[in-house]
Amino acid sequence: MAGETPSGPAGDTGELKRGPFERWVDRAIKNPERAYRAMFYVVTAFFLFTTLFPFYWLLVLAVTPEARLYQAGLLPAGFNPDVFVSVFQQLPFHVYMFNSLVLATVTTIIVLLLASLAGYVFGRLEFPGKGILMLAILAISYFPPAAFFLPLWQLFNGNIVPGLNLYNTPGAMILPFSSLFMPLSIFILTTFYGQIPDGLEDAARVEGTTRLGALFRVIMPLSAPGVATAGVLTFIAVYNEFFFSFLMNDGQPDNWAPIVGGILQLKTAGQFESTFSVMAAGSIVAVLPVAVLVVVAQEKIVSGLTSGALKE
Amino acid sequence: MATEQRTRDGGDATTGPVTLVVRWMENLSETQFAYLLLTPALLLLAVIALWPLLSTFEMSLHADSLSGGVGELYSIDELFANYYDVITGKRNALMPSPFLPTELSLNAIFASALGVTLVFTLVSVFFETIVGFGQALVLNQDFRGRRWVRVAIIIPWAVPIVIQGMIFYLMFQPGIGLFVGQEGNPALLQQLGLIGGTPLADAQDATMIIIVADIWKTTAFMALLILAGLQSVDRNLYDVARVAGASKWQAFKKITLPIVLPTVLVAMLFRTIQAMRVYGIIETMAGCEVVPSLSCLVITSFDNTLNATAATVAFITAGIIAIVVSVYIVKYARDEMG
Repeated sequence: MAGETPSGPAGDTGELKRGPFERWVDRAIKNPERAYRAMFYVVTAFFLFTTLFPFYWLLVLAVTPEARLYQAGLLPAGFNPDVFVSVFQQLPFHVYMFNSLVLATVTTIIVLLLASLAGYVFGRLEFPGKGILMLAILAISYFPPAAFFLPLWQLFNGNIVPGLNLYNTPGAMILPFSSLFMPLSIFILTTFYGQIPDGLEDAARVEGTTRLGALFRVIMPLSAPGVATAGVLTFIAVYNEFFFSFLMNDGQPDNWAPIVGGILQLKTAGQFESTFSVMAAGSIVAVLPVAVLVVVAQEKIVSGLTSGALKE
Repeated sequence: MATEQRTRDGGDATTGPVTLVVRWMENLSETQFAYLLLTPALLLLAVIALWPLLSTFEMSLHADSLSGGVGELYSIDELFANYYDVITGKRNALMPSPFLPTELSLNAIFASALGVTLVFTLVSVFFETIVGFGQALVLNQDFRGRRWVRVAIIIPWAVPIVIQGMIFYLMFQPGIGLFVGQEGNPALLQQLGLIGGTPLADAQDATMIIIVADIWKTTAFMALLILAGLQSVDRNLYDVARVAGASKWQAFKKITLPIVLPTVLVAMLFRTIQAMRVYGIIETMAGCEVVPSLSCLVITSFDNTLNATAATVAFITAGIIAIVVSVYIVKYARDEMG
């Protein structure tokens, strides 16, 4: 649709003097494509503004010196980059970040491993009960975390199995994360693994590879884009999770609290010291890892979200 | 399937435990092998999802106990006493916020868990669909910089919930927030009478702001699903329509909409399920006392050692979502069969 309407000379020869806007309207009426194009740019600009403005404003708030916060509007009132240092001084914010990244990485590895096995089974094998099992996994993944919370809280506090105290440890978060986010990966990997031609697997088997060996040495490498998609989506999902990240630890960095704990600590501290700039700076720091991931892996995210969701 | 198992070079033990396991695995039938590989995933789901769900239901049949855990199991003729008390409002005096509105007024609806959750779900999913459709139409065009526009639209989706909450908490913070002025110098939204002086402490204002925050973050998800639907439309159809003299609007109404509609409905269902569990954004921005969603009520009841009541609310929430899900599952099962 691009490249049309090399500005029509018809409007310029028009009678009398006209303002540029009227000339534009005149041309637009003669050539509606122009109007559509203009509308398209206006709408695009509007969407860009609404999605990006909150980040810009966060930055304005962060670099505005504490004392002049109430003067900050659309532009920062002053420039104070030190605030990004004070985030780490007021709190061990790096520990929260580290916890988040570790939790997300470990969960991603577990999910990819278990979902690979399940995806191989659902994508490549025929067996009784397959349809029902897939449906059950799908159904379970829709239930709200709140419906799982009470028993899990008791389990992780040693009230069900004595001595099993997972509260305040990574396990209390990684286990729920894994079961919460595994179904999506199972469905993505089922699709990808199902597309590998049987001949390739058979060839590997004739070469003497075991069944599991064929999965990990032939099918998984050939489905690398699918594995990457499932991995990126799981990582982002865990990094963004709130419910169990908030409730399965006491918010202390030594007890494996992820950034949810860090940001909320900044907020509680802020009510006494009025450190709104530090809150904004902390938010910017914590959002950076996923922002980078989105820029690098946007194709994977788009294909994973659409294929995963529409396939399910 | 070939079952010959060559001994590996350097593998000295032909009867070592590893070899035995491998040989055992190779000789399983396809069904046995399938279930063996599924065991870890199913075990995890059974312990972390299925058991808690059933256990929550079991807890909801007990009385509350102030000493932690749950009290006595109700006798058979009043087994569902908790459900009865929660729904009829008999339990309201004990609960942090009522489940159903206590009267037919706006304030009562926003103060009740089911009321505020339904308002949140309906309004946010409605606007997300419309805005998401708009974004999908933009992304469906070919233009320079499309890749970067797409990144910009996806980024809010990838923002952690706690940071999403923090952004809007700061925006509506009296004094510093753009949208809330100081006394004597009210901001535009206040002059219009849309929000009060401390919007995050007011149930209706806070719900509206939380809805806006949710639209900001999750519209991208809607847009991407609808975009996938748009891209499945055969472009030749548009050429045919143009030759036939159809306007752009007619082409949209007669070609695009009917083809995309099923995708839009699936996307709306997905978002409905997710919106019904809203919790984190509320906890970060306004607090569960101000906007008591269903998930909030589970946690606040639990905090007040009303474990059985909390389990009851949790299971009702699960039940409501299950009804929405079953609509989808039926459709999915039908597609699978047909």
